[in-house]
Amino acid sequence: MKKEKLYDRSSVSYKAKRLFKRNWSGWLLMLPGLLLFLFFVWAPLAQNVILSFNETKGFESVGFNNFDNYIRVFNDPMFTKALANTFKYILWSIIIGFLVPIFLGLLLSEVVHFKPFFRLGIYFPSIVSGIAVVIMWSYLFDPNPGAVLNQLLTALGIPVSQFLSNPSLTIPLIVVTMTWRGAGGTVLVYLSALQNIDNSQYEAARMDGAGALSRVLHVTLPHIMPTIRMLFILQIISVFQVFYEPLVMTSGGPDGASISLLLLSYRYAFESFDAGASAATGVILAVIIIILTVIYLRISMPKKDKVSNKWRRYAEKVKK
Amino acid sequence: MKKWLCAAVAAIVGVVSLLSFGACGKGNGKIKVSIGMWPDPTLTKDVEMYQKWEEAFERDYPQYDIVGDRYEYSADTIMAKATSKQLPTVFQTYFTEPQKLIENGWVADITDQLNELGWLDKMDVDMRAAVSDSAGRCYGVPRDGYGMGLFLNCAMLYDVGVIDKDADGNYKLHDDEGNPLYPTTFDEIREVSERIVESYDNTYGLVILSANNNGGWQFTNMAWNFGCAAMQVRGADGKYKANLNDAGAVKALEWIQDMANDGLIYPDASLTYVDWYSKIGSKNVAMAFCGNDNIMMPVTTFNFNKDDIAFVPMPTGDGQSRYSLYGGTPFVFSSYATEEQIKGALLFLKYMGRSPETDEISVSAIEVGHQTAQAKAMPIIQTIRPWTNAEFLEIANRLDKQYTNVNPYYYADFFDSLEQMKRPEEPYYCQDMYKLLDNAIQNVLSNPGTANCKSLLDTANSQFQSNYLNKL
Repeated sequence: MKKEKLYDRSSVSYKAKRLFKRNWSGWLLMLPGLLLFLFFVWAPLAQNVILSFNETKGFESVGFNNFDNYIRVFNDPMFTKALANTFKYILWSIIIGFLVPIFLGLLLSEVVHFKPFFRLGIYFPSIVSGIAVVIMWSYLFDPNPGAVLNQLLTALGIPVSQFLSNPSLTIPLIVVTMTWRGAGGTVLVYLSALQNIDNSQYEAARMDGAGALSRVLHVTLPHIMPTIRMLFILQIISVFQVFYEPLVMTSGGPDGASISLLLLSYRYAFESFDAGASAATGVILAVIIIILTVIYLRISMPKKDKVSNKWRRYAEKVKK
Repeated sequence: MKKWLCAAVAAIVGVVSLLSFGACGKGNGKIKVSIGMWPDPTLTKDVEMYQKWEEAFERDYPQYDIVGDRYEYSADTIMAKATSKQLPTVFQTYFTEPQKLIENGWVADITDQLNELGWLDKMDVDMRAAVSDSAGRCYGVPRDGYGMGLFLNCAMLYDVGVIDKDADGNYKLHDDEGNPLYPTTFDEIREVSERIVESYDNTYGLVILSANNNGGWQFTNMAWNFGCAAMQVRGADGKYKANLNDAGAVKALEWIQDMANDGLIYPDASLTYVDWYSKIGSKNVAMAFCGNDNIMMPVTTFNFNKDDIAFVPMPTGDGQSRYSLYGGTPFVFSSYATEEQIKGALLFLKYMGRSPETDEISVSAIEVGHQTAQAKAMPIIQTIRPWTNAEFLEIANRLDKQYTNVNPYYYADFFDSLEQMKRPEEPYYCQDMYKLLDNAIQNVLSNPGTANCKSLLDTANSQFQSNYLNKL
């Protein structure tokens, strides 16, 4: 009976043992990584969800308190501001941060001379420390009429600006800073997608009389659409996590005009010592991101051969 | 080949694990006392000063090992440091913080040790209250106190004709009848600011802080001086009521609004503490409100000429109310430290000249401090000491005078009036109250033409009441 059980090849334990035995050195190599992930990512993630339903003292739970943390967060007027601001960040990051790299990528792919120089120039801000970048831009955005950008505006005959102290400009200017630093990496991704497009398709389009705009619209964009779609989602997820830029540049001000959900979560945890409310804000943020991503994927998921169909239709149209 | 590979992987994992565990628990058998006030390595003269104190201490107490473990207190790092048990044995904080630290159990009760050393009865009563709980147990040793006052760039004020110079070239802050020439009211600050703005390009009269709770901190003193009796009022039922929208506070905010509207204050709505001395140091403004314990900052960080500094009492808004917000810096001790470690840290304070002792060690430590400040060309001015024993005060004041490198006349009015003007910070959730006031100030600075001061303070008031004072 015992012997029979040992050789039950359909049992899970047998399969697991076999999997481990067959590749034990591989598992051993993965072990440190798995432990690190468990310790630094998965465990804190689970603990955060647990904390969000608990009353806390420091980071320790002192008892289950149902949805109290969530109710407190929803009743905080700063939460409403932070939530609205987060969507403003997304809007501005789509206008500035999403389109600029596509435009730069297209421009860079057309450059013939000094291509490596321009590529380096565009990527260079990405290698500068994030904090250094936001401090540098804070100096540039100094509202003193004698500061750099205001001097420039004066020279151009434009009235001086309050820049970050103007609540309606704060978020767009923070997005400009983020884009200046982050666009370089994104441009390189677009550039590699652009370089993968078969040149013969451009030649064919040209022979069929397609102009530059037509080539971009009907050849380039359909080919880089999967990359655009992927980077769009990544962009929204990363904008949801905007944190240190408003922290350093405006402290979330003026009067909460630039506070983000993550900055609010940080304030709960480290300024008000309310880890429960902070964890609840984190969970709310995660839920929003998951919902938006699912909706977006549902709406925009292409049929498998959407690109080739489009191209076929275009080719047929030109033939006629 | 595969066996060799497996053996190599196993060996690497083993060695790494052994090294990781081996790194823990190294020690030399001495009692380790970590000092959070230890200066940054770039401040070489300060590091030398601490090393001198360390050598003297370890010579007399060889059982201790003093370790520099720099920790600059901030409200947003303390929880992480305390929860992970990484607080140094002793570190500095502000007088607004001990209650919060005591409530969370992050600092140690040192009443018995202080009694044993005979220091408790020599402590300034107001400062002792700031570091004690409601039962009177003491959790800290005050380093020094500060009063808020008005920092003046005398060179600029002289240039625009506000103050004068005597025959020796020293600035004259009073007329021949002894009346102050410097601004003593908020209206006069406005007049001086107008002259500054007219005379200089891209320069303003005053800098008003507005972020990281610093705006609320300054504003509280301004509101008192515009006639606000208190920002937190105890009702007949014994409960505290928020009073952030008091008429005096509204007048103070309206004064800021008018100054911003007329372009007389620095036009930035997110200025933190560092900004008062960076704007003064770069001569973008002529005046700032600050504590007397930080007057040296424009000198040490922006090479501001220390002979151009005067520090005068806070102005009044209603002609009657004259207060100087009185705070300070206490040393507190980690609740995870052992009794022996706390004892060592307390004794080390004596070697830093921060105890009420008057023996040779203490006197020499104060002197080393002054010599270092002199070597750094820092302005050495009178210090608000936390100890009340006459012998200590006599020695400390004598040394202050002996080593001073500034004209005491430029500070005399402030220190002479401080005893009458000083007023401790509001009792509960001070930093949270300051944060809400920051929001109101930011709103006024970013919309000076349209902001409704009363409505902004009403909002801050109701939030402070419902989110904080109702918890009491």
